Amino acid sequence: MKAHKLLMFTILLAPGWTLAAGNPRLTIPDFTALSKKASDSVAISLDSSLLGMAAGFLDDSKPQDAATKEVIKGLQGIYVRSYTFDHDAAYAEADIDAIRKQLTAPGWNQLVQTRSRKTRSDVDIYVMLDGKQAIGLALIASEPREFTIVNIIGAIDLDKLHKLEGQFGVPKLDPDAEKPSSVDRKK
Amino acid sequence: MNDDLESRLRDALRPVEPRKEFSAQLLARIAAESRRPAPGRASRARGFRSSPWWLAAGLAASLFVAVGVQHHRSELDQRERGLEARRQVIEALRVTNQKLDLASRVVRGESSETLGEHSST
Repeated sequence: MKAHKLLMFTILLAPGWTLAAGNPRLTIPDFTALSKKASDSVAISLDSSLLGMAAGFLDDSKPQDAATKEVIKGLQGIYVRSYTFDHDAAYAEADIDAIRKQLTAPGWNQLVQTRSRKTRSDVDIYVMLDGKQAIGLALIASEPREFTIVNIIGAIDLDKLHKLEGQFGVPKLDPDAEKPSSVDRKK
Repeated sequence: MNDDLESRLRDALRPVEPRKEFSAQLLARIAAESRRPAPGRASRARGFRSSPWWLAAGLAASLFVAVGVQHHRSELDQRERGLEARRQVIEALRVTNQKLDLASRVVRGESSETLGEHSST
């Protein structure tokens, strides 16, 4: 089973998670100062009207566009901040602590927390559920020279998102190369 | 013979009093002539009288062109913004997928091969 499908199962089957939905929109700090230090930066803020506008320019006859359209259908917002630096320790943990703090609010459930000592990469994925439907997703990925924050608002289908793999230059995972998962799920 | 000719000439050239209404008719005619516009003046007057139509038509045409140009520019602007939104959506999903992929590889234990040792907390 693909890792993303495992994540989906985790979302759907976790009975102890809070069902009361809060506000899935995070308040993203102003990273202007940080972006000036970054060698590459991505700052994307797409509200529902911009998503609707973008959907109008996605061509159904093209597979990537059609898949993208399917993913963003039902979303109310996508907010991404990603900064890459030329050297280590260019950003302080405090820079992303403000985000982490918001994710301790009721409604958010930590879905995955991965730590890789070799690459020193940490990825934390949180979801906000309304019943069994994910209505918000937050992702914090930090590496020595890079950190990324993603906040997606709306009905997210991770499986559909996963199907986009390979279409944006992200290599597709080999479904047969499944290994024991060490996913950490918190209740 | 000479006296006869002279007499006839005198008779023919004798002063004649104008009719009573001559002066009135002459004055009326002068007044009428002064009111009638000269040929050049007439065409200018006709042009002046018709100019509001041409002016209106010209203004309408200019307005039409201006609205058309504005509409075209607005459509181009809308298209530009739509394409930019599309590009941003694709970029946002690419970044998201990249990080999900990073987590997936660690979760799947592929980190031992590609990313190195991983830990779960």
